[in-house]
Order: sequence, then C-alpha cells, then structure tokens
Amino acid sequence: MPAPTHFHWLLDGGIVGIYLLVTMAAGLAMRRHVGKLEDYLVAGREVRLHLGIASLAATEFGIITCMYTAQAGYTHGFSGAVPGLCQAAAMALIGLTGFCIKPLREAGAMTLPEMFERRFGRAVRWLSGVVIVMGGLLNMGVFLQIGGKFLCTVAGFDLSHLALLMTALLLMVVVYTVLGGMLSVLVTDYLQFIVMSAGLVVVSVLVLKEVGWDRVVESVRAHHGEGGFNPLANPSLGWPFLINQFIANTAAALTWQAVIVRVLSARDSATSRRIYTRTSFFFVCRFLLPGIWGMAALAVLGWAPLKALNETDRAALPAAVAEKISASPVGQPLAGLDTAELAAVSDEARARLADASLLALPEFLGGFLPIGLMGLLIAAMLAADMSTNSSYMLSWGSVIYNDILAPFRRRPWPDARAIRWNRCIVALIGVYLLVFGLFYKIEGNVWSYLLLTGSIYLSSMSVLLIACCYWKRANNWGALGGILLGALVPVAHLTLEKLPSTAAWAASVGKDIAGLAAFAAAALGMIAGSLLKPAPKAP
Amino acid sequence: MTTFWLLLTAAALLWYSSVTLYVAVKGAGDIREMISRLKGRR
Repeated sequence: MPAPTHFHWLLDGGIVGIYLLVTMAAGLAMRRHVGKLEDYLVAGREVRLHLGIASLAATEFGIITCMYTAQAGYTHGFSGAVPGLCQAAAMALIGLTGFCIKPLREAGAMTLPEMFERRFGRAVRWLSGVVIVMGGLLNMGVFLQIGGKFLCTVAGFDLSHLALLMTALLLMVVVYTVLGGMLSVLVTDYLQFIVMSAGLVVVSVLVLKEVGWDRVVESVRAHHGEGGFNPLANPSLGWPFLINQFIANTAAALTWQAVIVRVLSARDSATSRRIYTRTSFFFVCRFLLPGIWGMAALAVLGWAPLKALNETDRAALPAAVAEKISASPVGQPLAGLDTAELAAVSDEARARLADASLLALPEFLGGFLPIGLMGLLIAAMLAADMSTNSSYMLSWGSVIYNDILAPFRRRPWPDARAIRWNRCIVALIGVYLLVFGLFYKIEGNVWSYLLLTGSIYLSSMSVLLIACCYWKRANNWGALGGILLGALVPVAHLTLEKLPSTAAWAASVGKDIAGLAAFAAAALGMIAGSLLKPAPKAP
Repeated sequence: MTTFWLLLTAAALLWYSSVTLYVAVKGAGDIREMISRLKGRR
C-alpha cells in the first residue's frame, strides 16, 4: 500500500494540468521555426545569456538530481552537498578563464567529436562518438524510472502505475523534442526553469519553517556526527572523494554534451563564458536545497529501513538479521550482514531495502506538503524532469547523427533529410529509455551509478579536449590511447566488483580512487601514444 | 561548520529567488529576439 499523501486531484491535479498544457503548446509552437539542421541541433546559434542560463539550469536539474542530492543529504548530511560546491567552483573557473570552452565555441563545431576530427582524424571522431553515446545513454537510462517512482510515491499512487506514468511522461517530451529540436527544448526549458525554481524555493522555505533549522542540524549530528558537516571527517568520503568530485565535475563541465551544447549554441564565446560563470552558483543550490529536504526527511521519519518491506518479506527475515538491518548506518541497510545472513534476504527485499534511502524524500514530502503546494511541487518536478529528458535526448541524438553516422554520408545531406533522420533518432532514444527504464533495476547509491557510467567517457573526452586545445604534440595515436585506457579503468573496476574473488579488493580500492585512476590512465594513454607515434617525414 | 552551512543555505535561497525573477524577465526578451532573428534569416 502506498503511503497516504495530501495530493488533491482537483486543485493539485489542476495546477499540474495547466503547467503541462502551457509547456506542450510552447514546445509545439516552435516547430515552425525549424528550417535548417543548425536550427534543429543548436538553435541557429542564437542563444543569448539569460535564455542560456535558464536552459542550462533547467537541464542540469531533473527529478533524478533531486532524488540523489536528497539521498546524499539523508545519508551524509551537509557533507553530501560538497559535490555541488566542487561543480560550482569548476564552472566558475572555466567561465572566468574560458579554459577549453573558448576554443571549442570558436571552432564552430556542433559536437565534441566533430572538433576532434579536425585534429585527430575520422577514426577518433567516430570512436569518441561511440564512447560519448554509450556513457550518456547508460547514464540517462535510469532517469525515467527514478522520476516515475518519485511521482508515484509523492502523489500516493501505487507503484504498479509506474509503467503507465513513465510512458505518458516520455510521450509528451518526445513529441515536442522530435518536432522542434533545440528550439523547443530552449523555450520549454525557460518555462520549466521558472516553475522548477519557484517550487524549489517555496518548498525549501516551508521545510525550514516547519521542521526548523535546529532540528535538521541536531538530526544530522545524531546520525552522522562531525562527518555530517565536514566531508574530511566522514569515513565514507574523505580526500579521495573531494579530489575525484572536483576533477570529475570539471571534466563534466568541459565535455558533457548536454552542458556544452549551450556553449555551442551561444551567440559567441564571450556569451558562452558568461553562461558558465553566472550559472555556477546554481550548482550549490542544486545540491544543497534538495539535500536539506533529505536531511529534514531524516529528522522527521528517521532511519527505519524495515518499513520499506512488505509484511511477507518482513516476516521471512530471521530476527537477528532484522535487528542488524534496523541498527545499520543510514543508507546502508545490508552493511552489517555476513554472507550467510545476506542469503536470508530475498532479492525483492534487497531491492526494497536499497530504495529505502532514495524513497525517504518523496514519502516525507507526500505527507508534509499541504494541498496546493503539492501541485506546485509535482509541476516543478515534472518541469525539472521534462527539461532534462528533452535536452539529453537531443544531445545524444546529435552525436549519433553528426558523428557515429558520419561515415555513412559521402556528401552533406539536405537539411530536410538531415532533420528527418534526427527526428527518428530522438524517437528511437525515447523507445530505448522506456525499455531500459522498465527493465533495469538500479542497485545501491544512484549518484555512484551516474558517476561510474559518466566516467566511462568523462576521463578520456576531457583529456582529448585539453590536448586538442593546448598540446601541439597531441595526435591520433595519443587520442586512441586516451580513449581506450580511460574506458578500461572504470569497466575493469566494475567487473572486479562483480567477481566474488575480487569483490573485496575492488571495494577496498573504492569508486573514488578508481575514478581518479581513470583520469590518470587517460592522460597516460594520450601522452604515451602521442610521443610514440613517429613524427611525419618532411617533404 | 554549522555557521558555514547556515550562511550557504541563506545565500542559496536568496540568490536563487533573485536569479529566477531576473532570468524570467530577461529570458523572455531573449526568446523574442531569437525568434525574430530566425525569421529574419529566412
């Protein structure tokens, strides 16, 4: 049975309905302005500062963001918001210096691999496209499922309606993205930014007013001690976590296609730099505000993982196992169990326990927010999710068309044909999202999954971009070495984690050291490959 | 550390509210201009 919530069909449903109607109308209206491929993929490169800020902020905050940042607040207290500080610092530094994004915008390419081709050749462009799309689609695959779970829980629907909700949500986004491309994405992003921001601010103020700052702080202290305020005092975070967060977030700001498409769509490089600088503090808000919602959920609901199980699963647990799960650290319900005890927990019970910290937020909000504000919250979260999904579908679709399918086009295609192909690719990505979202079961921390899938390409692409912009000796051997070694480390770590004989060793290394090793390996591959290639003979 | 997080939370709420209002007003102008430029090109 879903937890009871304050969702009111007429009032809250009406607010959500009006939001959806206005968004769809605005998104569909933009289709008539799509004349050329450049309009469809990069909005004719006519994006100005404020629209760029709204679009970047809306894209980089989805329901998934709200869920994992709230989960980080719930499981690590204020220390869970540290990735937001790292991301803000990275965006501000890049915006102020123009590091990589200035040459990238001035190159006039539509995607990162297109820029790489000019320096490293066609093979590197194609391979980069494959790596970007693989990492990006795996990363995005869980968005829909998590968003659907949030909406079901917060509105008090049974999770059996998840598939229906996911399909309806996706259909709306696919329709306007397929028809209007980047132009529809930008205009709907603008509306979604306003609705999403209003919801975030109002709900945060209400949470702080009703739960109280002191109660939140006391709850963090009681559950996490000093580690809830200082990441260096937190045994599961520490220096490797901090350094990895800074490097990975810098790499994401430089190479994440959904982010750099704003650089590529900007009117000029100065505008793209200002978009980065002026959006930077948003990344603190993005982690901190939902993080406080998560901490408030911990203060109000506490850590009671057994509540996530149904009667049958709970009755099937041996008393000693149930006791250990109840006394487990926040967010790690199975941490204290040995192999024999773990075997007594069914797969379904494990999945529910793994979701306990993730679903604490919607459960808390569903019972906390009054009628009317519930509608605003759901509209805000729908806005956040739709803007992220539309932008991501278009971003990965543009790489598939522009780079992976490039070898199949001997001459540039006419605009009408190119746009038709892009529309088909976006629609197919929609189908993939639905299938992946319905069948894939995510285990453990969502942020770790996102960072791992992202690191498959963040390490190699950021090294390639830096070398492409600033190292004269860089060549195609180095680029291939960087791509291969950069992908090898996260894939090897993931494999070693799954093998029983090496799982303990992989866990002792940890995701943060593995992430840092991926960047080091990519850099090593680039340097060694570039130096090993014989210099071309003089004519 | 608690004071640091309190100040950061206050700054986040203040910054986010004001930027939302500012971008809401200015962004509408950007959209109008983008559309008129696209029309002009054709």
